[in-house]
Amino acid sequence: MSLEEPKATDVGEAPDGTVDYAELEALLGDAVIGREEHVNAPAFVVRPDEVQEALGALREEAGFDYCSCVTAQEYEDRYESIYHLKKYDDPTQEVGVVVPTTRDEPISQSGEAVYRTADWHEREAYDLVGIEYADHPDLRRILLPETWQGHPLGKDYNPEKPQVVPFRENANPLEPDQRGDGAESDTMFINIGPHHPATHGVLHVETVLDGEQIADVEPDIGYLHRCEEQMCQQSTYRHQIMPYPDRWDYVSAGILNEWAYARAAEDMADIEVPEYAQVIRTMSAELCRIASHMLALGTFALDVFGDFTAVFQYAFRDREVVQDILEDLTGQRLMFNYLRLGGVAWDIPEPREEFFEKVRDFLDGLPKKTQEYHNLITSNEIFQLRCVNTGELPPEVAKQYGATGPVARGSGVDIDLRRDDPYGYYEELDWDVITEDGCDNYSRVLVRMREVEESAKIIEQCVDLLEEWPEEERTIQANVPRTLKPDPDTEIYRGVEAAKGELGIYMRSDGTDKPARFKIRSPCFCNLHTLREMTEGEYIPDLIASLGSLDIVLGEVDR
Amino acid sequence: MIPAQTQTPLPDIIGDLLGFGTEMGPGETFIASFIGAALVGTLMLTMTALAGPWAKRKITAAFTDRYAVNRIGPAGLLIIVADAVRLLSKELIVPEGVDRPAWDLAPIVIASSALLGFAVIPMGNGIHLADPEAGLVYVFAVASIASVGLVMAGYASNNKFSMLGGLRAVAQNLAYEIPLVLIAASVVLFAGSLQMSEIVAAQAETLVSLGGVAIPSWYVFVNPFAFVLFMVANLMEVGRNPFDIPEAPTEIVAGYQTEYSSAYFVLIYLGEFIHIFLGGAIIATLFLGGPAGPVLPGILWFIIKIWAVFLFTQWARSALPRLRIDQLIEVGWKGMLVLALANLVLTAVIVGVIA
Repeated sequence: MSLEEPKATDVGEAPDGTVDYAELEALLGDAVIGREEHVNAPAFVVRPDEVQEALGALREEAGFDYCSCVTAQEYEDRYESIYHLKKYDDPTQEVGVVVPTTRDEPISQSGEAVYRTADWHEREAYDLVGIEYADHPDLRRILLPETWQGHPLGKDYNPEKPQVVPFRENANPLEPDQRGDGAESDTMFINIGPHHPATHGVLHVETVLDGEQIADVEPDIGYLHRCEEQMCQQSTYRHQIMPYPDRWDYVSAGILNEWAYARAAEDMADIEVPEYAQVIRTMSAELCRIASHMLALGTFALDVFGDFTAVFQYAFRDREVVQDILEDLTGQRLMFNYLRLGGVAWDIPEPREEFFEKVRDFLDGLPKKTQEYHNLITSNEIFQLRCVNTGELPPEVAKQYGATGPVARGSGVDIDLRRDDPYGYYEELDWDVITEDGCDNYSRVLVRMREVEESAKIIEQCVDLLEEWPEEERTIQANVPRTLKPDPDTEIYRGVEAAKGELGIYMRSDGTDKPARFKIRSPCFCNLHTLREMTEGEYIPDLIASLGSLDIVLGEVDR
Repeated sequence: MIPAQTQTPLPDIIGDLLGFGTEMGPGETFIASFIGAALVGTLMLTMTALAGPWAKRKITAAFTDRYAVNRIGPAGLLIIVADAVRLLSKELIVPEGVDRPAWDLAPIVIASSALLGFAVIPMGNGIHLADPEAGLVYVFAVASIASVGLVMAGYASNNKFSMLGGLRAVAQNLAYEIPLVLIAASVVLFAGSLQMSEIVAAQAETLVSLGGVAIPSWYVFVNPFAFVLFMVANLMEVGRNPFDIPEAPTEIVAGYQTEYSSAYFVLIYLGEFIHIFLGGAIIATLFLGGPAGPVLPGILWFIIKIWAVFLFTQWARSALPRLRIDQLIEVGWKGMLVLALANLVLTAVIVGVIA
């Protein structure tokens, strides 16, 4: 980083690294018709026909190169799309762009031309809420079937009404089998998934092949859509929402997900978490990260090696140890439900020494195992032949698609919310953010493997702290009211660094004990969007490898 | 020196036992040959039955820290029976629009082509069906028929994944077959014959004597370079990792065999394993002295050598990532072919100058 030319400060960036919102407002000029205060950052209300201009100015002039999320919602009198913008260099510099549209004519200009990632986000907004985006290149439903009647998160939606769709209208994903330019076409259309050995769940990739090479891919998602946002909107802040995050990224990243909700809700209700609980959270979250990365490594090896080989089993064997530790701590192996608003559910299990010894045993054995993986996987010539320079994702493209987590860091984008937007106890600990400049499948694997080592460092320091912690100061839970009712119209968007990248939560309160809008910004959703960029012109095996290196969990993509 | 290596072909021995006399008529020859072929075929199919449902699982499990089958019978051996019943009792699903009879013939072609190869392999203790002068050429010729079967299966299945698998099989076949034959040709230069029994006999001579132990002139000792090349080419031939590209479960589901179920699936599966064993038999004959070996009878040595090659293929399967199809073609044409040619020229020079 130090070798780069010193960058001229962006418009609206104060010398101390904060955002000068008055200057931003001046930059946007006439497009702005108002200003809203969200808990995370102020937001400008922008006219629906000036969206591209406003976003363009914020991106080009003010340096907001990261469109984290697009939230859509319906009020009694209007629709609203909120673009949550950040900077990759400093994600604490945030700004929201609120675009209201009338209920009669919910048409808003698309932001896709400025941020590629808005493509899928806006399709989701159209699908679930019903806002239409002018100039959007491909405004189709994304999660629900093409034939769905109505928009489920809209106010007029009647869930009682059966979705009766005649069979002839029901889109059959296998039907358009012979696509291309007619009989003379050299390309072949092939459906990879939804039932395929290497799609990591029910993902359907519509692929056009030119021989063995990929001419075009189009991920078709939504097979695992479980209305998670709606379920959260029908649950109380205090207790009922917390079990759901475990079910988003369900492959052992549970506590990381729970933290995303905990952080957003705690910031919204202004709850201070005791330090001791923060250390426990940090430790358990990093254990989850190790388990999740182990699985990513194992399944990626499975995709490249081609069978359930030794590597996959070894990765699972080591992941099992982490699972045992997490089971001791939380009582669960998959759906942990361990965090609470204002703390954690319970303290380290007694006898504490035994638990710490178990963790330490695992950490002591880890370097040897990592070396084993390096011997078996990353230093294997065939593996390198397969992974180096395949599935390339240049950093600029990664940013355009809002990629985060190991996918972004494998492309040399230095972003990690644990460091850049600190929460928990990370700030006090000594660890590094891993980046690799290869931009290929190999780099992404390497990033994950090295992150496991960093996580181990964090856990070790947490264990040291917890062991020394005086008994009378072990507060695991802050004082939180039995029923949580944030002030009406409090809005917040907060993200944490989950296993796959930035897992963000947007919540709006209407004064009741349930959120009026609950939006999940899933890292897998955005990362999967990059698949086309990574695979065009490559071979089928590279497509499979790239998909594996993205490490998507369909539960989180579809929510 | 070399244990019981009779030069009489197996059908003649059987003819003798049946009392047909030394001069057998066509009918008698047919009966004797048929019994001999049935014996050899049964032996190979039994080994396949052991390898497919049981040994393969056990070997892979050993590599991956698992137990594998251990519920039915001693060490899980009866899983072979259970699996056979399970597979054969499944419904044979014939997909719409398959190209019959090619679709029905493909499994039979795949399974039988490999079996045909064993006709000329000397297995020791007189188990040797036929010994034509061009035995080696015959083995490669019939082993290659399997590729026709793969293409038939891939093309006739009316499935794009099968189609891709079939096309990959052809590409792979072209890339490995030429180096394979060239390496075998270097052995022929040493032995001076294409006849299998002659090749085995040529390896019986003593190469060097180390402390009273005679090391025979097996071609693995004479020309280890050719042996390594042949092992790699053989992996390509039998389509095991890292060269299992025509099947590639994670990429193209199961390649040419995607649409096959029940008995047809068993036949294809069987064909693959017989192919591995045929590969092992060719390696044993060309490089490991055929059935030769101390103490134990020849047929046992022969089986041990075949299983050693089988173990090697399973080891590679557990440890190596799969190559990409274009990389395989590159390895085949730019690497293997050049090395095989170099090996052939080198052998020719050595044989020409020294011998």
